[in-house]
Amino acid sequence: MSKLDFWDQHRGIIKSSKGGWKIGRGIFNHDYEMMADLVGYKSYFQVMVLNATGRMIEKKQADWIEAVFICLSWPDPRIWCNQIGSLGGTLRSSVVASTSVGNMAGDSRLYGQKTLIAGAEFIQSALQEKKKGLTAAEIVAREAQKHRGKPNIVGYARPIAKGDERVVALERYAKELKLSEGEHLLLAREIDNVLLQQYDESINVNGYCCAIMSDFGFSPQETYRISTLLIAGGILACHTDAWQRPAESFYPLRCTDIDYQGPAPRPVPGKENN
Amino acid sequence: MQKTESRNENFSSRQSSKIWFEQPDSANPYIAVDHFCHGYNLIELMEKRSFVDVFFLLFNGKLPSSAQSELLQQLMIALINPGPRHPATRAGLNAAVGKTDSVHILPISLAVIGGAHLGAAEVEASMRFIKKNLRKPTAELAATLVSQDHSGDVDHHPAPGFGSRFSAIDIFQNKIAKHFVQLDAAGKHLQWGNSLADALAKKDMGWLSTGLAAATLLDLGFNAKQGAGIYQLLSAPGLLAHGQEYCSKPITAMPFVKDEDYFIERPEDEQA
Repeated sequence: MSKLDFWDQHRGIIKSSKGGWKIGRGIFNHDYEMMADLVGYKSYFQVMVLNATGRMIEKKQADWIEAVFICLSWPDPRIWCNQIGSLGGTLRSSVVASTSVGNMAGDSRLYGQKTLIAGAEFIQSALQEKKKGLTAAEIVAREAQKHRGKPNIVGYARPIAKGDERVVALERYAKELKLSEGEHLLLAREIDNVLLQQYDESINVNGYCCAIMSDFGFSPQETYRISTLLIAGGILACHTDAWQRPAESFYPLRCTDIDYQGPAPRPVPGKENN
Repeated sequence: MQKTESRNENFSSRQSSKIWFEQPDSANPYIAVDHFCHGYNLIELMEKRSFVDVFFLLFNGKLPSSAQSELLQQLMIALINPGPRHPATRAGLNAAVGKTDSVHILPISLAVIGGAHLGAAEVEASMRFIKKNLRKPTAELAATLVSQDHSGDVDHHPAPGFGSRFSAIDIFQNKIAKHFVQLDAAGKHLQWGNSLADALAKKDMGWLSTGLAAATLLDLGFNAKQGAGIYQLLSAPGLLAHGQEYCSKPITAMPFVKDEDYFIERPEDEQA
């Protein structure tokens, strides 16, 4: 086989294992014809999970994921991703552009969609360790050892505030939906108890959601993919608020509001007199 | 459940900058009467220095030597256009021919060229790789890297910034590298990278554009975090030019793959 064969076999064509539009025949999405099988029968979140994973989940699972999106999208422009929406709004950047780029901010090590990868990896590997005999206290102790005695575990504790009201709301909704509790969530609760007793810290929305998504059977990458638009709602609200106010009036700065810490004014040297 | 309460973290009261100073107007402190880049008046920079010099100053805090300025200018030209076949360019073309707002063409292309395969994320990773391995003999390292590479991609990148493109050595990037190492400002990073590329050649691998950018930026004193964004920035002119070329063309000016060339690899395709 020539080195070029692989590339030539892909040239001039497109392959998809997801679906597509066959003009006059239908619009296919995995095992479904979208207009006949999905529209009016499945929720937007069921179809979004289908797009992300190729699997059709139960309606009540999709409803719970939708609630997670509500929890992770608040109209507060002080939140970093939301402020990008506000700054776009005040500069009259379009709502689509501002919301899209604000959503990109969630590819972060500190918050947002990308942290779900680490959160899901943690609870899934922790469960494997539990099955090998480790207790929740031993898992926490090992994590603390990695971080000079601080239990820096993605999904537990949170910046700016202690406690997490979103977990309370999602737990209530999960009960209403009669979602069954799996072994990841059970371990997450055990870790939460250890952290509360030993460190005065607790599970946050990432830890709680990653445990449930893992119980739903999603991999860390699938959890991340499903959450692509997780924070978009709050950014949209913040853009709209700034858009409806005078241009550039969102949180304006005087020159003197910048704490300049660089060199004092100096003459520019000519070439080779640097 | 723990009650939600503030940690009362000590946030800074003001934004800060070591880069830029705006001299406020005495009557309206929202308006600046002069701008200073690392202490140099921007108007004086406009009069005395080149764009490349001020670009270097902006990121490094000092003006470049003539040799550094020459190398950076040649890198800027080398990276000015990823070319019409590059996925990032084609993303912009899709926006342009689809009559997307023209202001979105460049951000769309730049997001795509941020990727970890032949994109800005690979530049950052390559800069870290080169710094970490700079003292290692390249022949042994190349053999180890190739034996440990199990990415599963058809084009292997046994180290970020080094590998094959379309199953072959990227001839043009290697040609540029051979030229760069002869310039006065070329240093240990470009030289080491060149040696690694030579060691990979028998496996049909060598420099990739991302590795070449990484080594050159390191020789110029840029750090890995800066490298990713600078790669995007230096690729931007070509991405934008190709996108703008399609802004006024009809939507039919780009191929739309025919149904017979579009393959849905699902059972329902056979049923439909």
